[in-house]
Amino acid sequence: MPQFFLNKRLIVLLVSIIILVALIGFSLRDRKQLTWPEQLIKDTTGWVQSLVSRPAQSIAGFIENLQDLQNTYNENKELKARLDDLARLEAEVHELKKENEELKDILDKKDSLRDYDPAQATVIARNPDRWHELLIINKGETDGIEADMAVITSQGLIGKVKSVSKFTSTVQLLSAMDPKNRVSAVVQGEKNFYGFIVGYDEKKKLLLLKEIPYDAKIKKGQNVITSGLGVVFPKLLQIGKVVDVVPDQYGLTQTAYVKPSANLYDISHVMVVKRKMTKPDVSDIDDNEEEEEL
Amino acid sequence: MNRFLLPVMLAAFFVIESVFVHLLPDGTFTSDRILVPRFLIIAIFFLTVYGNKQYGIIYGFVFGLLFDVFYTEILGIYLFLFPLMAYAVSKIMKVLQTNIVIVTIVSIIGVALLELGVYEMNFLIHRTDMNFPHFVSLRFLPTIILNLAFSIIAAYPLKRQFEKFAEHLTE
Repeated sequence: MPQFFLNKRLIVLLVSIIILVALIGFSLRDRKQLTWPEQLIKDTTGWVQSLVSRPAQSIAGFIENLQDLQNTYNENKELKARLDDLARLEAEVHELKKENEELKDILDKKDSLRDYDPAQATVIARNPDRWHELLIINKGETDGIEADMAVITSQGLIGKVKSVSKFTSTVQLLSAMDPKNRVSAVVQGEKNFYGFIVGYDEKKKLLLLKEIPYDAKIKKGQNVITSGLGVVFPKLLQIGKVVDVVPDQYGLTQTAYVKPSANLYDISHVMVVKRKMTKPDVSDIDDNEEEEEL
Repeated sequence: MNRFLLPVMLAAFFVIESVFVHLLPDGTFTSDRILVPRFLIIAIFFLTVYGNKQYGIIYGFVFGLLFDVFYTEILGIYLFLFPLMAYAVSKIMKVLQTNIVIVTIVSIIGVALLELGVYEMNFLIHRTDMNFPHFVSLRFLPTIILNLAFSIIAAYPLKRQFEKFAEHLTE
């Protein structure tokens, strides 16, 4: 037995396994903020990363532009066809907006769950082992970014801010597997159905929208958007379209497979969305729910 | 050899991994497979074999910590696995002869072990629910092929660089 403990390498191994478990336990805790050494390392590394990734991205962008040129003719034809439709839609939207504002004025209702301030950011790094699906962007605490803010591209929601340091922040994509990563969502239809985006099917490349009522009738192709009920995200951010609906394990609720409208892989410019409406107090929450019903 | 060259070189590999994943086009081969570049650890393996074992393990430790803090935000996994793999490779190379082909093969085995280790750890802490056959076909094989290609290309330059470094150390 004494000999067993005298083996230096074995002791080093055992001690390092203990440290490993302790560290993993520490980082899996529900941490609101990173410790300052972590923030320091992140900022410094982020700075070095951005030195390299900016030129690399611009070169890649140039090549992509060249490829785009080849498709321009076909694209142009298609876009022209859509343009006619757009003019009509625009007029309609304008009219609706105006009407909405007037109605709101009558009700004396100023802020809505929909309003938000976007902040532009550029992706400077991406986790190379794609187990955690994290992006690192070049805006941080000094630019007013906070944890849990929604992150979108022009096409739709891609994730949320996981942690911030002074000059960089880390974005967790919707495709990351994390039980804490839930988004309250609505399936738009004649009647709205609420559910949660929980998880991602890596084989099918689809998001899972769970906890839809068992009697909800959901068709393929219906839009899924954020509901704004989850306190942090604003309403009406596009998530995707329903592809398939299946009853869940116990038949009590349904699960919809949602094809994300934003490309969750090819991301270089993002917007971090700050909801204008302040987080409601507990007493306010009932009011908000009534709003949704309307 | 400049004493700053080694850390700068490894830092470059550290950055290139992320740039590689970021710029890899979403094409037909990559659409449902996940290619993980492991350039940094391959360089560390070559450093361990051709340069100095101690340096290899220390750099594995430092860059493992950096990797954890910057990329994954779960401290410990790479911090533990990078030095361990560097140590394992140095042990394997004691039995085998230091031939560039053999070192390349051993470094790929090291990458495979690292990939398996990371998968197991992520599975344990419920960061993934991918089952093993999926893991092998979606991640493991594409990753091995990518890194094999890299280590074949980079083997000779890395070997020369680290041999110079070893000479520099003995002086």
